[in-house]
Amino acid sequence: MTDEALNLPPAFGMLPRRRNQLLVAAAVFAAIAVSPFAIKDVYLQNVLVLTLLYAAVSQSWNILGGYCGQISLGHALYFGIGAYATSVLFVTYGIVPWGGMLVGGILSAAIALLLGYPCFRLKGHYFSIATIVIAEIGLLLVHNWDFVGGALGIQWPFGSDSWATLQFARDKVPYIHLALALLAITWFVTFLIEGSRWGYWWRAVKDNPEAAESLGVEIFHSKMAAAAVSAFFTAIGGAFYASFLAYIDPESVMSFRFSLLFALPAVLGGIGTLWGPVVGAAILIPLTEITRSYLGGSGSGIDLIIYGGLIMLVALAKPEGILSLFQGKRQKAEGRS
Amino acid sequence: MTTQALLQVLASGLLMGLIYALIAVGLSLIFGLMDVVNFAHGEFLMTAMYVVFGLFLFTALDPVLFAPVAAAVLFCVGALAYLGIVRFAMRAKANQGMVQIFATFGLATLLQGAAQYFLTPDYRSIGNSWLGGKTLDLGGVFLPWPQMFGGLVSIAAFGGLYLLMSRTDFGKALEATREDQGAVALVGIDRNRVFALGWGLGAALVGLAGAVLAIFYYIHPQVGATFGLIAYVTVALGGFGSVFGALVAGVIVGLVEALTAAFLPPAMKSLGIFALYLGVVFIRPSGLFGKL
Amino acid sequence: MNRRELLLAGVSAAAAGSLAYPGTSRAQAPKEVTIGVIYPMSGASAQVGIDARNAFETALDIINNDHQLDLVAAKGAGLAALGGAKIRLVFADHQADPQKGRAEAERLITQEKVSAIIGCYQSSVSATVSAVTERYGVPFLCADSSSPSLQRRNMKFFFRPAAQDEMFSAAMFDFFDAQKKKGKKIDSVGLFFEDTIFGVDSSNTQRKLANDRGYKIAADVKYRTNSPSLTAEVQQLKSADPDVLMPSTYTTDAMLLVKTMAELGFKPKNLVAQASGFSEQVTYDAVGDKLKGAITRASFSLDLAAKRPFIKTVNDMFKARSTRDLNDNTSRQFMGLLLLAEAINRAGSLEGPKVRDALAATDIPGTSTIMPWARVKYGPDGQNPEASPVLLQYLGDKFVTIFPSEVAIADAIWPMNG
Repeated sequence: MTDEALNLPPAFGMLPRRRNQLLVAAAVFAAIAVSPFAIKDVYLQNVLVLTLLYAAVSQSWNILGGYCGQISLGHALYFGIGAYATSVLFVTYGIVPWGGMLVGGILSAAIALLLGYPCFRLKGHYFSIATIVIAEIGLLLVHNWDFVGGALGIQWPFGSDSWATLQFARDKVPYIHLALALLAITWFVTFLIEGSRWGYWWRAVKDNPEAAESLGVEIFHSKMAAAAVSAFFTAIGGAFYASFLAYIDPESVMSFRFSLLFALPAVLGGIGTLWGPVVGAAILIPLTEITRSYLGGSGSGIDLIIYGGLIMLVALAKPEGILSLFQGKRQKAEGRS
Repeated sequence: MTTQALLQVLASGLLMGLIYALIAVGLSLIFGLMDVVNFAHGEFLMTAMYVVFGLFLFTALDPVLFAPVAAAVLFCVGALAYLGIVRFAMRAKANQGMVQIFATFGLATLLQGAAQYFLTPDYRSIGNSWLGGKTLDLGGVFLPWPQMFGGLVSIAAFGGLYLLMSRTDFGKALEATREDQGAVALVGIDRNRVFALGWGLGAALVGLAGAVLAIFYYIHPQVGATFGLIAYVTVALGGFGSVFGALVAGVIVGLVEALTAAFLPPAMKSLGIFALYLGVVFIRPSGLFGKL
Repeated sequence: MNRRELLLAGVSAAAAGSLAYPGTSRAQAPKEVTIGVIYPMSGASAQVGIDARNAFETALDIINNDHQLDLVAAKGAGLAALGGAKIRLVFADHQADPQKGRAEAERLITQEKVSAIIGCYQSSVSATVSAVTERYGVPFLCADSSSPSLQRRNMKFFFRPAAQDEMFSAAMFDFFDAQKKKGKKIDSVGLFFEDTIFGVDSSNTQRKLANDRGYKIAADVKYRTNSPSLTAEVQQLKSADPDVLMPSTYTTDAMLLVKTMAELGFKPKNLVAQASGFSEQVTYDAVGDKLKGAITRASFSLDLAAKRPFIKTVNDMFKARSTRDLNDNTSRQFMGLLLLAEAINRAGSLEGPKVRDALAATDIPGTSTIMPWARVKYGPDGQNPEASPVLLQYLGDKFVTIFPSEVAIADAIWPMNG
């Protein structure tokens, strides 16, 4: 039964489906927030932090890659900028990571805007390869820039537990809550974008490429804005990662592997959907961690076989993402009612 | 820098460039045919290197002889990859490109794991061969025979590919399928068959490159990653789908890389290639010879 | 053991491990000491992890079974002070990623209740793993990461019995000074190093030593690791033609470097390597014919077997598992586990802080190790300052110790290519 049927005005001008999604999100995020009471194992908590982080960064990637259709395989650049800005400001200048987070985010957004002008002229694979190349240039520069530690990286000093410096020696729960907050924010931003003019334009363009012509300029500007938002939150994720790990070097935050890892959850879960990155990360990250932890020690490579095989299987069996399983059912259910 | 040193850098860059071209052309061919980027391309190269290494171990014949065998084996690998994987990935209704990238990325990871599982992660290399370690000294400019052999194979492969594409029915079927996938079905060309053969051909070409590399490079489950990125940049620089573009771009990439290393700190030698790629596509968004 | 058996063994060991824990049976069973081993088991340096596994399993055999060798922890089965308790190893894979290394360390400490951790090859991973062990109060025995920065973080649970890069490089320059006194010509050095923490750390030390001791740096080439070609890099070295070429490279690049030097007709007058790729057998299998006379630093030398016969026994045991001789890395890994077992036995306890105190009180003469070390006695920073390194020269079929003179069995062939 819908609101219209009851003749009720939709709350805040919101469609009931969107309001339901907000309720679902609130429930899911609340459940995760209290989950440390049930999950006491440090290793599992670590997996949870990574899952939430990758879900959040993948959600950020999804804004540009999924909704906008601009497949970036160079988001490691923004992740690295966030990680490095935070580490340099904290270790060299004593500025708390919260400040570095913001600086890294703004810097990333600015760079994304700068790169957007030439890059958005490129289409399809030319765009993707350009993003890879730009991220690789960033990696090379950081590798050879002594001020940021070069290949030696940056080691965070040992300190006591503190929310100001985001350092917690053994306790993972604060990191869980931080990563969850980041995920909730990126999810909500995506939610807002989906319901905004941008969301309608992008959908229109996808359904009907000719519509792009009539919307030309607006589309370009909205893409630029999407790139900036996407880069901003990816950098926040990088800043979080740096404080979480308390040690960074170029390969451990900026290698090409990360760019793929940010796109993968969205693709596996359902690209250009609100819940795709979350579902994708919830399956992919525990799988990666657990295959490595419990099979990788043998040195046989079996963990890679399983990991690669499963990615392939999902891509083949459910090309629209795992989420499409549920959507199919829901649509059927809605069709019947 | 002396003239001699400059000539050496140029000669080495040219030889390496021809090999880059041979690695890249298979990728470009597959893309041109059906708009798919194969992320397992580097792993195909690795497979070919192991094929040659294995044959060398078991037969004790010279690795130079195994190039055709590696090409044949890789032809099968490529065709199977299409029939078993890519064909299904192409059913995706939305974001086909992404699905293909990740299906082939999964394949790449799986191949790396399989290589480690069955062949151990040890570093291998082929010690004694007719060409191995032999060098031609041209007045102080040194040209290693294995790389020269690689260059010749590359040029021959491009020549053969040109003839195949322009003179045979298969080539025409490829070209027609590339132009219009729907229409070819009407004239009785089985699209799946052409695609499978196209994948086979693309993989066979990288098989040749692997066979050549195996003579002078180390062999390792991760070796594909070393050449993978360069192959993608080469293909995009030349223009996706353009065979001639791959040849020109490969040579340019080889030369630019060698020259950058001579004038910038060698640790940053890839900067030259990357800057060149960006410079080209910002002016010509579809690469040097791409249609798009 | 082939790959499949290895895997099956791993799975059954895991199964046995999980079955052994139902609360009731544990009290009766002899106590077990669990030690975590964190290495790269997949990815580009997976072979290092596999070799390390063989080294640790050899050490495990020595500790858990009775061997009449004059070697630390060899006599008697298991740990005597703990009622003959056996050591159990849990292997984990860090894929050269500091984040994964840290996660594995946390898992091993909290789930497997390890009494100590040993690792990790890559210095970047040792950095994060040692931070975890410090926070959980579990000793970390750094077997083979040689970055000097690791010991400068005021850690109480960090121990490194083997030399670090400053000590290794100092030995090289001591050797140069000695050669110079003999009237040999060494004026310039050429640095060739990869853009990783290992390469950069090593070159920084060498650059400083060269400046301090008056050697000209003729070439200073940093290169990108795993490059498709090293032609331009070698061209620079060739133009500079230093008296000694000093590479700091892993295996793949070591092979490519030597091949490329031969292709371009560059025969370095001398080559003194910061081990790594130049201590791996595969490098010599591939390009050994071009490396006759090459010198590498090492923590270990098989020559010592003449003075300490048990070294041959140990090497044969290792060779039976891995088909290769003990080298710079595997010897350090092997010895690291023995030293850890000795300390745990002395502590008579499985608790981290007690094991830590025992490690800190370690004082073992070098003669009861397989290494050329003077002794094992950790400084307040956890570094063993008496881990004297050696230089080995490759003679085409074997290595001989050429420096320092106390352990040398031959004079160096210098220059290597006249």
